[in-house]
Amino acid sequence: MEKWKKILKYPLIWLFALFIFGFALWDILTPSREFSEMENRMLQQSPPFSLKSLMAKGEQAYTRKYEKYINDQFVLRDGWITLKSYGESALGKIENNNVAFGKDGYLFEKVFSVDEENLSANLKYMEEFLDKYPDLPVTFSVIPNAYTVLTEKLPAGFAAVSVDQNQRIGELYSRLEGKSSHLKLLELSPVLLEHQEEYIYYRTDHHWTTYGAYLAYGEYVRSLGLEPVPWGELEPHEVEGFYGSFDAKAKKAGTLPDVITWFDIPCRVEVNQQPVDFLHDLSRFEVRDKYSGLMHGNQALTVLYSQCNQNQQEGKTSRVLVVKDSYGNSFAPYLCYNFDEVYVVDLRYLGKMSAVLTDMDLAFDDVLILYNFMNFTTDTNIPKLRY
Amino acid sequence: MVFSSILFLFRFFPAAILIYFVVPRKMKNLAIFLLSLFFYSWGEPKYFPIMIASVLVDYFVGQGIQRFGHNRAICKWLLVVSMVFNLGMLGFFKYTGFFVENLNALLGLSLRAPNITLPIGISFYTFQTMSYSIDVYRGKVKAERNIIDFAAFVTLFPQLIAGPIVRYADISKELKERTIDLGQISEGVAVFIMGLGKKVLIANNIGALWTEISETLGFGGISAPLAWMGAAAYTLQIYFDFSGYSQMAIGLGKMMGFNFPQNFNFPYISKSFTEFWRRWHMTLGSWFREYLYFPLGGSRVDSKIRLYFNLFVVWFCTGFWHGANWNFILWGLFFLVFLIIEKSFLLPYLDKGKVWPHVYVLFFLLISWVIFAVTDLSQLGIILGRMFSFSAGTDWVYYLRNYAVTFAVAILFSTPLPWKLYCKVKDCTAVNLVLMGGVLVLSVAYLVDATYNPFLYFRF
Repeated sequence: MEKWKKILKYPLIWLFALFIFGFALWDILTPSREFSEMENRMLQQSPPFSLKSLMAKGEQAYTRKYEKYINDQFVLRDGWITLKSYGESALGKIENNNVAFGKDGYLFEKVFSVDEENLSANLKYMEEFLDKYPDLPVTFSVIPNAYTVLTEKLPAGFAAVSVDQNQRIGELYSRLEGKSSHLKLLELSPVLLEHQEEYIYYRTDHHWTTYGAYLAYGEYVRSLGLEPVPWGELEPHEVEGFYGSFDAKAKKAGTLPDVITWFDIPCRVEVNQQPVDFLHDLSRFEVRDKYSGLMHGNQALTVLYSQCNQNQQEGKTSRVLVVKDSYGNSFAPYLCYNFDEVYVVDLRYLGKMSAVLTDMDLAFDDVLILYNFMNFTTDTNIPKLRY
Repeated sequence: MVFSSILFLFRFFPAAILIYFVVPRKMKNLAIFLLSLFFYSWGEPKYFPIMIASVLVDYFVGQGIQRFGHNRAICKWLLVVSMVFNLGMLGFFKYTGFFVENLNALLGLSLRAPNITLPIGISFYTFQTMSYSIDVYRGKVKAERNIIDFAAFVTLFPQLIAGPIVRYADISKELKERTIDLGQISEGVAVFIMGLGKKVLIANNIGALWTEISETLGFGGISAPLAWMGAAAYTLQIYFDFSGYSQMAIGLGKMMGFNFPQNFNFPYISKSFTEFWRRWHMTLGSWFREYLYFPLGGSRVDSKIRLYFNLFVVWFCTGFWHGANWNFILWGLFFLVFLIIEKSFLLPYLDKGKVWPHVYVLFFLLISWVIFAVTDLSQLGIILGRMFSFSAGTDWVYYLRNYAVTFAVAILFSTPLPWKLYCKVKDCTAVNLVLMGGVLVLSVAYLVDATYNPFLYFRF
């Protein structure tokens, strides 16, 4: 009896022991997970042990990987992350992992600096591309990130700590301006700013919405003297519960999911020369990374053979080529309303530009190079334009 | 391995504590030695032999001095062996690159600096083993005869990599004879949890601001307010990081029956730098006093010049101990200036003052931590320039909004107030359990989702 009294006098010891040993055991007995839906990434698995890996340096070291494995696989990981996000809210934090919490559930990633060297090189590659195809009509357009457009949704002071993309895009255009008589520069900021009250960027993802892309589409075809298909004539389909890349970084409890709108635009589709049944990959709408369902995600070459071209002319096949990053996947399908054939190229997966421009022996009415600002400054595949 | 990690908390610690309590009393020190070796080797398996060499050299030096006690010449030589070995290791691993670089710059050579990774905690354990040999030589302690007990002292994992700098004399009794006392264990648990909270919840959170400014934003274009916010963030980070870690070490020690010396005593409430250095990293301060300042003659010297020389040596070494870079030396000498000024006339005024001494200490302390934090001297020039640039800017608005509460919490916890409050309520078991449980659970949550969990004193 005396002994028990003495032992129970220190409940902190026993609760601490229960917590440490209990979680240790529970953790050891819980099988590993492959993938975290919440964070949208693969989790570290138990690293194989070898003398070589033990003596390896840096991130390759066995002990380092093992620590990451223990951390990634810790029991109730998602619950702990949610708990931390409540802690962060209690501390009044307005960001996590470099993603800031804006108004109305909008998340914005901070952009501190531009990779000047890479940007400069990419512009040079652009010029070389223009020189290589002197008869090709080219339109170049840069899509600003959401924080540049949705100024009303930003947390206080955000603009002062992030790169001014409007200014930078302006500089970029003026550097290319006049370099070639067959180059047109298309500004997107004005039309996006005009519609900043509307749902033009996802709240939880870095991409623009299908509507944001529609506005840009309108600007583009008008610049070619064509009329865009009216928004009201398109029949929307919606995918709910989309948590994007910013959400995976911010991991904030209570984040509002986004809605992806897609259209069943009449066309026949070939992805990397293989015919596919449908414009979009509907099965991808069931998983976490729903955006990758649009136009089957990023592919080397996708061709849309339009069945709804409003501008069809007898005896002529009109063609447009879009060189794009993932932003283009919400954009390119609309072009079926104005062209017979829409060629869509992603330089990250295509070996060289001439494979489409020269080897296929096709005439293009216009080549649109459409990149998000951040992607254009960081992408290292732009040199492929010249090959 | 660091204490503030899931790996330590839910793998190493439970296994270690289980083994430690299960093995019979006679084997406990052996258990400590083996567990500590594993703990140490985890980060750098290749430095395993260094640890063994450290144990062997100082063990045999101690034994030799004990045996040849009557022959001072031999004892002196043995002591020299220990000093050369310990300082030699420290010099080789920590300072080779620095010396080669400076030699190159001075003589216009281009010797290739070897790429040596610093064995974790080498600055701490070489000082501990050296203090042992010196104490045995001075006859202050008897040499340890049992090599396992001695090995347990040298490698003792709670304090191995970042202090407190425990001298052999501090724990020689406990090495031989310690009891499992539930009261002490319970206290150890509470001290450990509080240390963990200081490190994970406060240091990491406020430190993120300094890291963002220094590593992502760059010092070049920031406004003066943001530069000062960065300095304040680093000032708070280094205190909570280091004192939190020391506290975790003390807590773990208590659970295993050891009483380590206190290492921090609310340094930021000091009214002078003289006081600050009695409250900051106390075991290092007393080490330099005991083994460097006093042997040089301390303040009992005939001339002022000699006194200043002694102080200069101590503060040069204190700075240099923190890192092989000029900024650390500059940092040590920065304090030397203030300590001399205080010693000559300022101290009585500071003692009498109410508010201005705090302003004086904090203002220069912030500057001292900037000197400490920025190892590149040209970068250091830039950030100090920004701090005194009088450019208002707007970049600080966002950061103030993001970190205001964290600042408030960190500042509050650098004063004794919350701890006084805690002492009042901790006897109420339920309140204590809720507080401790809350800190522990939150700390684990922050560790699981650790995007930022450095440990500043790791590189020292």
